[in-house]
Amino acid sequence: MAHVVDVRIRNDISDIGIVRDTLDKLAREFRIPVHALTQLQVALDEVVSNVIKYSWDDGGQHEFLVRITVRPDRVDLEIFDDGREFDPVTALLPNHPAEGRQTRPGGLGIHFIKKLVDRFTYERIEGRNHTTLSKRCEVGAGVQRSEK
Amino acid sequence: MNALSIGQTRAGGVCIVTLSGRIDSTSASDVMAELTRLLSSGEKSILVDLGAVLYLTSAAFRALLVATNEAERKAAKLALCNLAGHVRELFEMGGLLDVFAIHNSREEALKHLAEPRTP
Repeated sequence: MAHVVDVRIRNDISDIGIVRDTLDKLAREFRIPVHALTQLQVALDEVVSNVIKYSWDDGGQHEFLVRITVRPDRVDLEIFDDGREFDPVTALLPNHPAEGRQTRPGGLGIHFIKKLVDRFTYERIEGRNHTTLSKRCEVGAGVQRSEK
Repeated sequence: MNALSIGQTRAGGVCIVTLSGRIDSTSASDVMAELTRLLSSGEKSILVDLGAVLYLTSAAFRALLVATNEAERKAAKLALCNLAGHVRELFEMGGLLDVFAIHNSREEALKHLAEPRTP
């Protein structure tokens, strides 16, 4: 039993606000605990901004899908994009971010994602990147009743 | 909703920048622009109060790092204060507590900023 919301956004940093507000709205509706919500918001910002900054380098406008799934015991964030292949899960990270002034772009953000969520996976499927983040938490109410 | 807001007050020679709300990819550039503007205008002591910040993302940490480096280049001081809850947790998670000059309270920070700059 789950409540699924699909949000399609452009590769424009300002569009992150659309998914951020959608997650906030779901958190209010399903009473996602504040601490888990904060961690999900940071992880969402990191993963979506990485896609926007690095998936396409042609300067053109692209769209991609962010899927938020609220389950009774966890929240899943999935990103599907048709940009260049990039696996953030195995990307090289700085040994110590504080010292990593010359680290690759996105290094600190990926470090945060790994610390903030319980599951972080990547697959390349039929020319699309599919990145999944899962955060375990006790969702307050309403998931089963609200399934569409 | 909980959008970033940036306030400014003075305490003697220190410019206090109060940030509140979320500092993420959509708003970190505003923080960077404000801090670099203050440094360019000749401010020598800046205190950034994070007490009302809900959370920061890596974009925000980059903005604070850039401003800190810029302050060093201009022989100015930039300090942070009032890290609480989620915000402190994110600094710890990123191993970033030692990267900045961090004080528990405004009073403590102002006392430190009033001292002559050590090379």
